[in-house]
Amino acid sequence: MLVFTRRKDEAIIIGDGIEVRVLRVGKDGVRLGITAAPHVPVHRREVYDQIRAANAQAAADASSVTELLAKLREATGQAAFGPAPGAGRASGDD
Amino acid sequence: MTDSVTEREIVTFPEGLPGFETTRRFVLQKADGLEPFTLVRGLDDGAPAFVAIEPQRVDGDFRATIQPGDRLRLQARAGDALLWLALVTVQADGTVTVNLRAPIVVNPATMLGLQVVVADSPYALDHPLLAA
Repeated sequence: MLVFTRRKDEAIIIGDGIEVRVLRVGKDGVRLGITAAPHVPVHRREVYDQIRAANAQAAADASSVTELLAKLREATGQAAFGPAPGAGRASGDD
Repeated sequence: MTDSVTEREIVTFPEGLPGFETTRRFVLQKADGLEPFTLVRGLDDGAPAFVAIEPQRVDGDFRATIQPGDRLRLQARAGDALLWLALVTVQADGTVTVNLRAPIVVNPATMLGLQVVVADSPYALDHPLLAA
């Protein structure tokens, strides 16, 4: 791991145009400002890890997914699902 | 199954999915027999497959919100109707849950997809669909 000492208002550059700047150093945390192109995803590590763990649980390999689906269909046979949403309703604008 | 997939049916996830970052190409299989579920099947050897359901089918009040950066990544224009899918999990105890916090979003107009990763979602990673 590359380790830098940075003070308030100092930054590092990663690759082509990603900047990480120290905005504030407090007792309980450091406030960072990330500047990157809009298409570059930036996530909080722990949030990403939570979703990664959830995905790992949800994933099936190709050979067992049909089995999983059959199990689900059997289990959900009695369940009431809402109506299929219209395509328009399923989109988000904000 | 993947043999019959044509290029225009392939949804590209440029970042993959968290935990499966190297799988970029998926197909969505919807069929009457699968209803209300959709199969999200990764292409390529060893790629994962998922069972998904539209979040609105699980929670009628589900409100899909998308960040401007995600819209950009999907190359979504104002009129594009986005497809939302939440991944379904059978937990170890047999409970079936749905990940409403981090749904998959696909833009059918560009066939680009991503998984929403947000810190401040009101929805659960394991919204109960069925008790064990």
